[in-house]
Amino acid sequence: MTSAPAPGSPSPRLLIVDDSRVSRMMIRAFVLDKQPDWHITEAISGDAAIAMVDQQSFDYCTMDINMPGTLGIAASEQILEKFPAMRIVIFSANIQECLRSRAAELGAHFVAKPVTEKSVGQAITFFKGEGG
Amino acid sequence: MDKLTDLHLDALSEVFNIGAGRAAASLSEIVSEEVKLSVPSIEFRKCADLTAKLLSLDQSQLGVVKQKFSGAFTADASLLFTEDNALEIMRDMMGSQISVEELAEFEQEAMCELGNIILNACLSAMADMLEIQLESSLPSYSVSNSDDYIQSIIGGEDQTYIMILHIDLEIERRQVNGRLIFLFSSSSLSTLRVQIDTFLHKI
Repeated sequence: MTSAPAPGSPSPRLLIVDDSRVSRMMIRAFVLDKQPDWHITEAISGDAAIAMVDQQSFDYCTMDINMPGTLGIAASEQILEKFPAMRIVIFSANIQECLRSRAAELGAHFVAKPVTEKSVGQAITFFKGEGG
Repeated sequence: MDKLTDLHLDALSEVFNIGAGRAAASLSEIVSEEVKLSVPSIEFRKCADLTAKLLSLDQSQLGVVKQKFSGAFTADASLLFTEDNALEIMRDMMGSQISVEELAEFEQEAMCELGNIILNACLSAMADMLEIQLESSLPSYSVSNSDDYIQSIIGGEDQTYIMILHIDLEIERRQVNGRLIFLFSSSSLSTLRVQIDTFLHKI
């Protein structure tokens, strides 16, 4: 939906998946504040994300759960089947224990919304493999 | 009314998504089951335009939990359930060993508590995000028919706006449809708009 990653660039590529424009704006702003060199792309639904990962490669992904169409957990499952090396953070307001466990089973990391400097920081820590 | 833009509505939807997520987490602990949430949708209308159809409630008997919120702005919040749903959630809350007579005795208290969890989760998510303080009155519960409920809202000042939040909470075994209604005066709505602008400018 936005900035295309520069070909051959070593900078990590992050896909933000969220149906809320405000959430995407906030995640983008907090990430770029800490990681100004990351390439960020946005998808407005799980279905859009599934289509996008076939066309561009991404290192990291933040995934909302409650979205129109394919829910975030199912979208993550499909994406990880094809691209098991991608690091996915399930970034959701739906904080029920069963969803946290399902995220863990998939090998994704769960971070509870709201989108704040702290919660985005937790996602970045997981992406960079610093104890996530 | 100062128009709320799509971005304002998006910000509010996200706030209520967070609120509903917190509420669902509490509810799922209570009923020991996953609570599925729909994507929230919000609309603002003039009170006078309120109809049962707009509320998408097809049953005439409603369980209504009401609570007043005050602080940076004031709002009258109502949580509407169809009455059958209300009794079923309560049975889940109280456990199946409880008799129908006992259930009736606890109805008032249990429904207030349920409303309290859901309304406070939504309003506290809003207060946190907008960095404002909101205080809530004690909840009250009543059963009324949908026409009477609508009349009680329309009966107020005509400069009042309603925000209708549609979120479906689905508990595995039963379809539970809840509607949240927030009543704002014009001045409270303007204040809310300013608060959302302040929040958006910080991004």
